[in-house]
Amino acid sequence: MSTARENIFSSIRSALAPLPSRTPRPEIPPGAAEPCWLDRSADKMALFVQRAEATGTRCFTDPSACADWLRTQNVSKVCVPGPLERLKSLCGAFAEVVDTYRRADVDDIDAAFTPAAGAIAESGSIILSDESTPDRLAALAPWHHIALVSRSEIHLTIADALAAHPDDPNVIWVTGPSKTADVEGILIQGVHGPGAQACLIV
Amino acid sequence: MPEQKVELFARRLDPGVQKAVHDNSAAGTLKRYSILGGDYDTPDELRRLAGQIRQHSIEHLDTYLEQAEKSLHRHGAHVHFAVTAEDACQAVSGILERAGARKVVKSKSMISEEIHLNDHLATRGIESVETDLGEYIIQIDGDHPSHIVKPIIHKNRRDIARSFEREGLGDYNDDPETITRRARSFMRRKYLEADAGITGANFVSAESGRLVLVTNEGNSRFCLAAPRVHIALVGIEKVIPSDADLAVLLNLLGRSATGQQLTVYTEFINGPALTGRPSGPREMHVIFVDNRRSEILASDCREILRCIRCGACLNVCPVYRQASGHAYRSVYPGPVGAVLSPLLAGKKFKELADLPKASSLCGACNEVCPVDIPIPDLLLKLRNRGHEEHAPSPGTPPMGAFAMLASSPLLWRAAMQGSRAMNLVPLDKLPLPYLQPWLKTRTLPEWRGGSFRRWMKSRHSR
Repeated sequence: MSTARENIFSSIRSALAPLPSRTPRPEIPPGAAEPCWLDRSADKMALFVQRAEATGTRCFTDPSACADWLRTQNVSKVCVPGPLERLKSLCGAFAEVVDTYRRADVDDIDAAFTPAAGAIAESGSIILSDESTPDRLAALAPWHHIALVSRSEIHLTIADALAAHPDDPNVIWVTGPSKTADVEGILIQGVHGPGAQACLIV
Repeated sequence: MPEQKVELFARRLDPGVQKAVHDNSAAGTLKRYSILGGDYDTPDELRRLAGQIRQHSIEHLDTYLEQAEKSLHRHGAHVHFAVTAEDACQAVSGILERAGARKVVKSKSMISEEIHLNDHLATRGIESVETDLGEYIIQIDGDHPSHIVKPIIHKNRRDIARSFEREGLGDYNDDPETITRRARSFMRRKYLEADAGITGANFVSAESGRLVLVTNEGNSRFCLAAPRVHIALVGIEKVIPSDADLAVLLNLLGRSATGQQLTVYTEFINGPALTGRPSGPREMHVIFVDNRRSEILASDCREILRCIRCGACLNVCPVYRQASGHAYRSVYPGPVGAVLSPLLAGKKFKELADLPKASSLCGACNEVCPVDIPIPDLLLKLRNRGHEEHAPSPGTPPMGAFAMLASSPLLWRAAMQGSRAMNLVPLDKLPLPYLQPWLKTRTLPEWRGGSFRRWMKSRHSR
């Protein structure tokens, strides 16, 4: 392998050596990639809710409203991790509640709550990380996924979120439910991941 | 009658397929236009900035690739290098064999198509399942993707329903939602059984080592949730300086590819899963693949290495819309493919030297490119290379007689006068095979040969 490495680096160096000059690193002006409609003084939470709903993520601020929605969705087994007693009792009123996601239950658990690492207002994205989210599968395999987003962890822009990127081997931004348009360009939600994506802002 | 291969392909294309490709591509162009124009006052400035970031990155590839390698090591990932497609395949199967992995789930990756990874894994007795819905259908049909982002743009729901029925995924049903649900439940088993997940990468940040993966379906996320080994195949040109550059690149990628501000899942990975987590890979391997990219870097077409594989140039291209992706006879179709494919072909350059000629040089590809690649200029450079290497050039009339006329003033004058006879001849009836394809769709104006020279003379004498 080390020879392959040396070969590649030496080919790259000899490819670049004859260049009379190399393109300098451009300075990225602050806000260069921000959409023109973005208002820097906007309320981050209001913008997040507006953008998230536009991409198909349901937003709740009241746990009982969120539980009511799950009830109308005929959810029968919910994974609620850790010490979220209020949610457990709300969901327990209409569904079986488990607090760890087990692979053997992949076909049975039809909703799961997982804590998020934050959110992005500009794009309406939820940020999950290995540190914040106990199980990658729990946030992905059930039809309903509800991320718990803390109001104080909403970043205004994509650039802000990148600047505050958590030191974590795996971070994922979730912007709406899983979708495809592979068949004749027709939009279908819920391909591999959640068909219904939601977040509960706490 | 000698004609361009791409044109022949377009003519033989099923009219239904052609309409599907045309309409779907045109819709993609409109979506891109409306979101980019709606969100940015000066989207072209952003494209130029992104182009500079990518040009800077590839012109400092030696530095950034080494930095990316170190960053990945620091976070516990294994880094491998592969010079050729064969080396890359060997590297993948080597890792799988050492890990005792027999079953693999794969998320969409153009470079794995480029190196024909699935065929290689099959010879080693390793089951490899494509998990992107479109790519899975391509796999069970033994077909090839015809678009970088929309691999089955050339298939309709009836084709897919028949394939699913044949593969035992249920009785014939061509409802797109049913097709998707069946794929969901089939794939779920595959993810959970798999020992390893193979992905590509859209970008690699040198500073943090983070690989960035974007999907809408969530399949790459599943490939990194259930299996215990993650292998990422990455072209060496994918490296960018830092995470901060992603603000520009990601904002352009989703909008250019599918008219979305961001794709649904944007994942950043620089190592195996956090210790103690129940899901996520225990091992992460990144294979940096050259496969002639350093050769392209040394050529005068290096700008093509800026490409971020959004497919916008395919959608907008009048030739692609008529001919569809298979006409390009290679992994990368459309304008980007017309540049990249002959360059990646190495010694077989001549076999694809017709691709740069299958273009009217209208420039639309450059205008939509999120990294502002001057594709028409690169097409001209490759046409020139094709000429120098004496590549066959069907559809181009022999220019020898014209060259003789044009280099002798006396002959030229005589020809200008004599050609007035052309006004009397029914041109479309002439037995001139090279001219007929042209004349079929064009009428020439009345010949007034020599008038420019008279006009010039009268100017001088004034």
